[in-house]
Formats: sequence, structure tokens, C-alpha cells
Amino acid sequence: MKRAGIGGLLIAVPLALALLGPLFVPDQQTRSAPFLPLGPLGTDFVGRDAWYQVLAGGQTVVLVALIATVLSYLAGVPYGVLAATARLRLVDEVLMRPLDVLLAVPSLLVLILVAAIAGQGLPVLIGVVTLVNFPDVARLSRAAALEISGRPALEAMRMQGESWWRTSIVYTGRSMLRTLAADVGVRLTAALYLVASASFLGVGVPPDAADWAVMVDRNRGGLFLQPLTVVVPALLIVALSVGLNLVFDRALRKVRT
Amino acid sequence: MSLASYTARRAALGLVQVLAVVTLVFFLVEALPGDAAVALAGDNPDPARIAQIRAAMGLDRPTFERFAQWLVGLPQLDFGVSLVSGRPVADFLFSGIGPTVALAALTLVLLVPISVLVGVLAALREGSLLDRALTSITVALHSIPEFALAVVLIAVFGVQLAWLPPTAVGADLFAQPAVLVLPLVVLLARPICSISRLVRAGMVDALASDYVRHARRLGIGETRVRFAHALPNALAPAVQQVARTTDWLLGGVIVVEAVFVIPGLGTVLVDSVAARDLPVVQGLAVVFAVTTVAVNLLADLVAFRLAPRAEVVA
Repeated sequence: MKRAGIGGLLIAVPLALALLGPLFVPDQQTRSAPFLPLGPLGTDFVGRDAWYQVLAGGQTVVLVALIATVLSYLAGVPYGVLAATARLRLVDEVLMRPLDVLLAVPSLLVLILVAAIAGQGLPVLIGVVTLVNFPDVARLSRAAALEISGRPALEAMRMQGESWWRTSIVYTGRSMLRTLAADVGVRLTAALYLVASASFLGVGVPPDAADWAVMVDRNRGGLFLQPLTVVVPALLIVALSVGLNLVFDRALRKVRT
Repeated sequence: MSLASYTARRAALGLVQVLAVVTLVFFLVEALPGDAAVALAGDNPDPARIAQIRAAMGLDRPTFERFAQWLVGLPQLDFGVSLVSGRPVADFLFSGIGPTVALAALTLVLLVPISVLVGVLAALREGSLLDRALTSITVALHSIPEFALAVVLIAVFGVQLAWLPPTAVGADLFAQPAVLVLPLVVLLARPICSISRLVRAGMVDALASDYVRHARRLGIGETRVRFAHALPNALAPAVQQVARTTDWLLGGVIVVEAVFVIPGLGTVLVDSVAARDLPVVQGLAVVFAVTTVAVNLLADLVAFRLAPRAEVVA
């Protein structure tokens, strides 16, 4: 499919820059005046070479989004399965109702609030993005597990006296895999969106960090002098987001049909 | 279930959500090390001065007493006093609410017709070149970070081509509508994609359904079948997505106001977070949360009215 091919290309460029870029950044960097036409992209708002900043700045965005997505699955899937397979209806209610509250607050607001209270730092950023993504993962897993637990195959396994481990974890887990895999892309783009927007707003990472989103924010003052210092990191984020959408949209449709 | 009893249940859920969020906001801020008095006492805190300020602000009273007082103040729009300037928090909210509401309202007004149009166009020509092009674009632009899109648009249309003003610094939003073009495009990009896809999917399903086939057999005109019978059913899921959009819109407005330097609630929020002016942050959180809950409530009711079989959330 053509669309996924374009998507793959769009992901490959920022991903390669993010993962391999830091290797090509020299330890010693000279500083000159801000927004001078030195180097391929010019210098940034404190006179660093913007190209090296681009090379070094993808890592945090990509890794934080990835880690937060993995964590939200690690927390959300067992949570949702537990709610779905609980014998007592009450357990289900107690587990799922609080999530309604979390879903009632705009996600960027949660992020800003928690960061305002917990302070800066990558662990906080990872934690909040996980927290914001977690209710959706839990809901999805609960719905998937609920559908599976009503299947005749599982009834039969229960009547045969299969262990809880084999019915709830092995069988249910394996059957949920397709639904969850299809959803990974949505979660990953959501995490990327949050991480980038938060960094742009100055939440979570220090203001002079080498980070694409921070670069966009900080170098905006030089938009007329050195537009590339702003546009290149912004385009990399756009390419990553668009690429993820295109690639995972295909996966999503494959599962549904 | 009748509309009245559905409304009652849904409103009860909304009330619980608002209460829970408000409680959470208060106690999260309460959990912070150091309080307002320490912040106000300045760089060289003198314990006697801190105690004095604490007594003056009522911070020496038990937490629950203050919580109750704060809670009672909320419906009267009394959110407390800013730590930094000493002005009432409500002042901040009123000063920022104009631009934010204008942006959000304009976005919603443009969003619904555009995304319904795009979705219906794609659905009526299902599989055509137009459909595939529209679908590709809506898939690609879905959940793109607003600030990145905004900066690219500013660089192209604001700086290179100089067609539109790059920021709204010092401009009156209503006197110079050109200032609003780029912010609106950025705010619209994300929701248009998701809603038009839902409208398309709903419309494709509806056009293939039994009742549409039956309506055609009865000889009802194609225009009426499409727009009076198929469209309302296709819209129900989209209406609920419009409500989700309000969540994005609030987040998006914060970012867009920061990019285009618009003095709205988002700017107030970012500034007060940077200054650690917590009563203002609390007040804004309450306003945002209540808005989101209210909009979701409204959307569920509209969706229920459009297609009463819609699942009951409560």
C-alpha cells in the first residue's frame, strides 16, 4: 500500500536522526552570537550550531513517548483485564469509575497541573503522559477482555477446570493481542503529541535542553533571521506524527477487516 | 429510556465528575511543600512574618475548613486571591476569557459544517479519487502537534510569503480578522480530521443500511434519503466526537495562544504555572474541567436525541 510506504519514509528520517544523531554531535562546541548564518541551519538563540541541536534533540521526544506508551500498556492492560474478569461487579465499578473523572479533564491541563506541582524532569513527564494515556488503554483492554470472557471457548475451558492462569492470562491475553496491537499507533501518536506539546510549553524539560520541541519554542524569536532553526525541528515532529498515523492506520484497518 | 430520565442520570454523573475534579485540584495543590505564605514572604523568610501572613490568609485553619470555604466560594465565582499580584483570581479569568471563548467558538462554528461536508462528500463518492485523497489527508493530519503545524504555517505564510500576520501581538482580534486566520486553521486541523472520518464512516454505513434501502424502494427522492434519513444517524457518533474535541480545543487553545501571543486563558495558565501562582492555576483548572464536563453532557444529550439507541453512559 502506497500510503504506508510514504509513512515509513516519513518515520525513518526523524527516527534515524533521533536515534543516531547524538553520535555525530562533537563534545566540544563553539558558541557564537545568536541567529548567525553559520553551519547548515544557522545558530540558535544562544549561538549554538542549530544542526547539532537537531541531531541531539530527537532522542528525548522519541524515547519519552515510547517509554510512556509502554508503561501505560504495562499498567492499563492488567487493570482492564482485572476489571473485566472480576467476579464481583463492585470491583469492576470501583476500578473503572475513577477513570471517568480522569477522562473528564483535558489531557494537556492534567499535564500542566501535575508538572506545576511535581516539578520538572523527564521522569515526571513520562509519568504524566503515562497517566493520561492509561485510562484509554484500561478501557480498551476491559472491553476486549469482556468480549473474550463471554466466548464459548473460555466457558468450556472453565468447565474443564483449567487454571486461572491459563484462562485469564494465556488465552485471554493472546486473544486480546490483535486489538491491542492495532491500538498501539493511536497511543503512540497521542504520547508523541503530549510530550512535544508539553516540552514546547516549557513543562518537563529545562529551557535550554536540546529537544526539538524546545528548539521550536526558543528559536521562534529568530524566525525572520534564521527560519530553519525553527522550521526544521518542527517539520521533523510533523513528519514523525504523520508517518506514525499513516503506518498504523494500515495496521488498524487490517485488524478490522 | 426517556430523554428526561437519561438527562437526570447523565447530569448526576456530570456533577460527580465536577466534584471529583474540584476536590482533586484542591488537594493536589494542598500536597505541595511550602504554602502561599512561604511564597509571599519572599527570599528571606522570617518565621514570624510567615506566621503572620498565614494567619492573615487563614492558612492556619484546618485543611477541611478551608476546602469547604473554597468550595462554597466557587459557585459565587470567588476563587481566592492571586499570590503574585494579590488581585482576585476571578479578575484573571475575566480578562482572559474573551479571546479564548472567541477562538473556541469560531473553531466550533467552522468545524461542524466543514467536517460534515468533507465526510459526506467522501462517503457519497466512496472509493473515488476524491474519497481516497480526503481520507489520506485526514489520516495523515490526525493528532499532529499544533505548535509544530503552527510554526511551519507561520514560517510559510507569515514570514516567507508575508500574506498573513505571523503573531497577534498588540492586535485587536476583532478589528483585524486576518490575525485569526492562522490560529483557526491550526485549531481546526486536528478535529476536522477525526470528525470528518466519523461522518464518512457513519454515512457509508447508513447508506448501506436496510432502512435506506427501504426508503429508496418507497420511491423517496435521493436527496431526502441522504440528508433526512441517512445523515442524522451518521451524525450521532460525530456529535460525541465534537465533545471530545472540546478537550483538544482547550489543550490546543493553550498552545495556539502561546504560539500566536494571544492574551487568553491559555496564556494566563502558562504564566501562572511559570510563576507558581497556584490559586490562579486552581481557578483555571476548575473552569476548564467544568467546561469539559458540561460540553460532554450536552453532546451526550444531543446524541441521545439524534439516535436514542445510543448507549447510556451513566
